[in-house]
Amino acid sequence: MNGETPKIKRVYLQPTPVRIWHWLNAFGILALGASGVQIRFPEFVSLFGSYKSAIMLHNTAGILVAVSFSFWFFYYTLIVHKMARLYVPNRDDLENGLARQAGFYFFRYFLGEPNPHHPSPDNKFNPMQKSAYMLIMFVLVPLVSLTGILLMNVAPLRDMVVLIGGLKFLVALHFLLACALFAFLFTHVYLATLGRTPLAYLKPMWTGWEEEMEEH
Amino acid sequence: MGLHLQHLFTGFVALALVLPGGAAALENGDCLICHSEAATVGIERLIDPVRFDHTAHSELGCLACHETVTDQHPDDGIAPSKAVCRTCHEDMDAEYQRSEHAANAACGDCHNPHAVLSTSEVSGSDMNRQCGACHAPDIMADAHGVWLPQAGLHLEMLPCISCHSGSENYAIVLYVTYRGAAPDSASDDAGPGAALAGFEELQALAGERNIAALIDTDGDGLATLEELIRFNTSPYYRNLRLKGMLTPEVVTHDLQILDNRWDCTFCHASGSGAMQSSTLALPQKDGSYLRLPVEQGAVLDALYGTPDFYMMGATRSMAMNIVGLVILSGGLVMPVGHGLLRWLTRSNRHS
Repeated sequence: MNGETPKIKRVYLQPTPVRIWHWLNAFGILALGASGVQIRFPEFVSLFGSYKSAIMLHNTAGILVAVSFSFWFFYYTLIVHKMARLYVPNRDDLENGLARQAGFYFFRYFLGEPNPHHPSPDNKFNPMQKSAYMLIMFVLVPLVSLTGILLMNVAPLRDMVVLIGGLKFLVALHFLLACALFAFLFTHVYLATLGRTPLAYLKPMWTGWEEEMEEH
Repeated sequence: MGLHLQHLFTGFVALALVLPGGAAALENGDCLICHSEAATVGIERLIDPVRFDHTAHSELGCLACHETVTDQHPDDGIAPSKAVCRTCHEDMDAEYQRSEHAANAACGDCHNPHAVLSTSEVSGSDMNRQCGACHAPDIMADAHGVWLPQAGLHLEMLPCISCHSGSENYAIVLYVTYRGAAPDSASDDAGPGAALAGFEELQALAGERNIAALIDTDGDGLATLEELIRFNTSPYYRNLRLKGMLTPEVVTHDLQILDNRWDCTFCHASGSGAMQSSTLALPQKDGSYLRLPVEQGAVLDALYGTPDFYMMGATRSMAMNIVGLVILSGGLVMPVGHGLLRWLTRSNRHS
């Protein structure tokens, strides 16, 4: 603004294990969604040929996502010890951060103002991201995985299936949680285009490095 | 069916004409005096009078099939003759003889003529027990597990003949079974999770009433969705649940491995009215099952109509589809709404 060339600050935001987990998760969830649609609506969808192929893909992708979730959990909890710091909103996040970030997304962004949150390795997510990811990673993904594991083993785990309300309750829960996960995914992918350029937020998830305009 | 009855009648007349006059006066009850006592005739010749009385064969009488028996039996030393099944069941026999199965088992290996029931009176578990006498369930589970996802579940929920005969027009038959482990008194031993509640257990619950009244509370001979939901959510029946089996309505004897059964969507696809209709099968004192019609579409109820019966692709709930669509649409609010405002205000950010 004052004639100087803006400086670019580079931050190493996404370590290699996190990037591997993210893309395993991403492709796994896409495969789960596509095969899940064929499993539920076989008369209308035959993306993967036979019904059995769709089921085998769904089961394999489901195991992949569940294993990568465990990998993510142990990495953040036991190796880098950042789980709570990154994913649990603190008092300031709840009292001020959420409103500040919502104000940016739904108002100030349209006026061209900058994002109030500046990510760092120890504070990657803005308060809205923290809240959403906490719900997704500690409620939605574990529940959709557990219901999926039960549905993959109905006969051996029949007593447990009956105990939690029966097969229909389990299928409904699995289906609706999956819908909620995909509803989030639409927003997640859209918000990923909201950076300085449409691919600015995507790049660190591939290279690990985020580039940000340095403030003066 | 009409042709079948005609054959039965012709066979009966033919047998009656050759009956020795001295034995014509013998009634079923005369034979059963000895043949209902294991101590008298041994276990191999034992006949359960209650079960035999329920069969179509009992109406023909013992002598229709054992024509050489006289009123001096067994002192006359004449070995009782045994009728050939195809004398009456000619079409069925012809159909069976064309199957590979015919070289390995005779009619009597699967059917006890003194306890035979019509298809609708036999439970799916009982049907499978006949098959399991030769085809050991463990070996069959392993053999199917090579290609069939959740083979154990399929073997538990399907009569073998649903896939291995040319039978068509399937319906979902609901049986009362146990939630969790079956009590020791349960008569069914078809495998874990497969034990069906027996007549005595259900009668004890029903008390003075007919056991159908456990579900069909208004006694109109139809299990409505409302009655099913009441049964499935009632604390009085918390130890019971309904198990559904996809069962052929009319059984054929052309036992075989059919190509179209390798395709999962033969069953796992919506649209077949027959598959989405259901009946409730209740055990009777004589070992048979009484079928009670169930309100059309009950198995499609979202949660409590048949809470433990769900066939992927086939019995999905429209209500759940709509809720799922609403949730997915909610996810599009941000990309579409925010995206539109973003596009309209793009000049603010470019500056």
